[in-house]
Amino acid sequence: MLTEFLQQLVNGLSLGAIYALIALGYTMVYGVLRFINFAHSDVFMVGAFAGLYLAPLAPAGSILGGLVVVGGAMLASALLGVAIERLAYRPLRQAPTLNVLITAIGVSCLLQSAGQLVFGAAPRSFPVIFPARALSVGGLDFSSNQVVVLVFAAILVIGLRLIVFHTRMGAALRAVSQNPRAARLMGIDNDVVIRFTFALGSALAGAGGVLYAVNYPTIDPLMGVLPGLKAFVAAILGGIGSIPGAALGGLLLGLVETFVGGSQYSTYKDAIAFALLILFLLFRPAGLLGKARIEKV
Amino acid sequence: MPPMPKAHLGFLLALVLGGVLSGLSDRIDPYHLDVLIGVGINIVLAVSLNLIAGHTGQFSLGHAGFMAIGAYATAAVTIFLGPHLIGDTAAPGGLAENTLFGSALLIGGLAAALAGLLVGIPSLRLRGDYLALVTLGFGEIIRVLLQNFEPLGGALGLNGIPAYTTVFWVVAAGAATVFTVGCLVRSNYGLGFLAVRDDEIAASAAGLDPARYKVVAFTVGAFFAGIAGGLFGHFKMTITPSGFDFSRSIEIVVMVILGGLGNTVGVILAAVLLTLLPEFLRPVAEYRLVLYSLLLIGLMLARPQGLFTFRTHRAVPRA
Amino acid sequence: MSTPLLQLSQATVRFGGLTAVDALDLTLGQRELVGLIGPNGAGKTTAFNLITGLYAPASGSVAFAGRPLAGLSPHRIVAAGIARTFQNIRLFGSLSVLDHVRVAGNLHRAAAPWQALIRLRAFRESEAAVTRRAEELLALFNLERFRNTPARSLPYGEQRRLEIVRALATRPRLLLLDEPAAGLNPQEKIELVALIQRVHREFDLTILLVEHSMKVVMGVCQRIAVLDHGKKIAEGPPDAIRRDPAVIEAYLGPDHATALFHH
Repeated sequence: MLTEFLQQLVNGLSLGAIYALIALGYTMVYGVLRFINFAHSDVFMVGAFAGLYLAPLAPAGSILGGLVVVGGAMLASALLGVAIERLAYRPLRQAPTLNVLITAIGVSCLLQSAGQLVFGAAPRSFPVIFPARALSVGGLDFSSNQVVVLVFAAILVIGLRLIVFHTRMGAALRAVSQNPRAARLMGIDNDVVIRFTFALGSALAGAGGVLYAVNYPTIDPLMGVLPGLKAFVAAILGGIGSIPGAALGGLLLGLVETFVGGSQYSTYKDAIAFALLILFLLFRPAGLLGKARIEKV
Repeated sequence: MPPMPKAHLGFLLALVLGGVLSGLSDRIDPYHLDVLIGVGINIVLAVSLNLIAGHTGQFSLGHAGFMAIGAYATAAVTIFLGPHLIGDTAAPGGLAENTLFGSALLIGGLAAALAGLLVGIPSLRLRGDYLALVTLGFGEIIRVLLQNFEPLGGALGLNGIPAYTTVFWVVAAGAATVFTVGCLVRSNYGLGFLAVRDDEIAASAAGLDPARYKVVAFTVGAFFAGIAGGLFGHFKMTITPSGFDFSRSIEIVVMVILGGLGNTVGVILAAVLLTLLPEFLRPVAEYRLVLYSLLLIGLMLARPQGLFTFRTHRAVPRA
Repeated sequence: MSTPLLQLSQATVRFGGLTAVDALDLTLGQRELVGLIGPNGAGKTTAFNLITGLYAPASGSVAFAGRPLAGLSPHRIVAAGIARTFQNIRLFGSLSVLDHVRVAGNLHRAAAPWQALIRLRAFRESEAAVTRRAEELLALFNLERFRNTPARSLPYGEQRRLEIVRALATRPRLLLLDEPAAGLNPQEKIELVALIQRVHREFDLTILLVEHSMKVVMGVCQRIAVLDHGKKIAEGPPDAIRRDPAVIEAYLGPDHATALFHH
């Protein structure tokens, strides 16, 4: 009983860690631009495919090889994120939020359909990139890949925190997300900060894509849709705009889903995130760690 | 304001036209008939979403969810109750069958309207992209619930739905949708939908209840989406939960955006265009979705008021 | 004196740690024309938002014609008889001038949505009556030539006037005007004073006026209340307010005894 619980806990945390990585990108972009970047989930997908194409170039089954693949996927995703921002969102900086949202949905559909043309619609199996071993500790069975996911996610979240709180760019990012107008008056170039935000968030999603593929070893161009939506829910749960909130929300959602998935209600697993979303938005729109806003009239 | 009889006359003319087309349907090429029915169903979907998203400004990504509820409820009535009500010997296309179908559509519409009422309530507290997400979540929840509901076929869906959908029913539903939305929006009462979209605070300062308008828009819009679902099921003769997923909702959203939010005529044109386009694009079918998404992005960048809106007022409200 | 039309008792509004309106007492009798003034950030607009139900009081109460307004949503407060305009004009971007007045004129009429479909005789007649009254109101305020113009493309002064007409279309007993003279040129301000006086006279109304232009406030108000930092620091007839040392200090800081209200 306890073993089973601990087992699910490990599984839940490693799924949650991936939600957390994606959720960070949503929350950061929402912080600076106040809109839901629907295309973020497809950046995650492109990250996984970048990993797929990079894998043969790196030594298989080694830590170093794995690092190279994840790093390459992060770079590719960051470039894609910056390109999306430049081409699709920047021209709409002054447009109503709804127009930006619709554009984001368009970009998301474009990445999915273009992905189906370029990568093929059929699921592809993902190669082994990290050393893969089945581990067994005290009756708990897990794979080394789950450990890799957790370690990577922890390092990336800590790294992000360092960047946001201990660099000039991080300070600028926080300034823009608190008050873009005032930040501009203080000599901060909002466009640079926004580009940086997209690069950072997209890189995290790209890492998430590869780590997801490592654990669930087939990938396809629509793979981002559900994890992406759920990660957004995680961001809301944690309090949109809050970085620790996104990490917390991701872990929580991963745990809840895994435990429900292991119960007799497993087929309802995909509905949980949305039920939570609706409940939170209605009763605690600021999320667990977010702050409520007052509307000015 | 247009005089009353004109709208009613148009509605009646459409019914007559539907009857005539239905009577001639033996002489129309079956392929053309299918396309015609597809166009009609999409018009119902797009015009009803336009009431919610266009006129009232409540951006909804869950229209396929309402459609699913209508499709399943209507099919449940005709499959499970139909044989008891009209027997197996009813003449195909006869009065008994059409009465059954008409009542089933009504039930499907009402079931969807009830769901619309439920979804409309969150819209009282949310706006813009948060609302869009809740409606999206609602659509996905409907899909998961249907996948788990074995009496209605579960994930495999419902098969063997009788082919009751005729040109007449489609034209009648299209006319009823356009008539209802048109009459609502053009009345003094209905100006409130636009006012609520433009500025909720100013609307309440003018004595309008924004909550009520939003719930009415969601309920009426969902009702017609449910009817469209019923027509769709009895046209394709088989429905699956995954047929009403997020991408189906997006398809309807694209029609509304392309036509111009709040522009009924434009939205009808867009529904026609986007239903016919894939037929012409068959040779390059795999590029269809790429084209759609580029169209959507291009429109937002270059012509956010839609292809068919020529007045210069702000087409999309500030969220 | 009979029941006051509007009574704020110890009404307080807080945003987090900031007290925007602090224990405000304000009483308006029937057909009074009262000014509410004070430096920027004194809490005037917040007081309006409190009266119209956009904000809820942290403590204290607001009563209209003896009836407490607590918990009423903004549109119900309009239905009860309080209408307002906004400091930053809030018109409907896609409605014509006439439609602004029609939509507001719909208020005191029981038309359910389904009646718009069946269009019985009674419905059509009430539609026509609303439209007719909207046209009368436009004519009364010299806006009829803009009847079909989108409200956004009206000249600025006319936009302000249209907001007042829209408020009047709801048949209020109390009209709250939030800086109606903001952005008007001197000639337009003179016309506005005449307009406010006319509305006050012909529509049998009580008016509460927030305004920065002292010329306008002193010109039309019978009584003036002064807010500073959310508190009421003075109240009285215009002449007394003009000379009140606390008011002068609030506007100019200490050590300024200049007669400030003469520009």
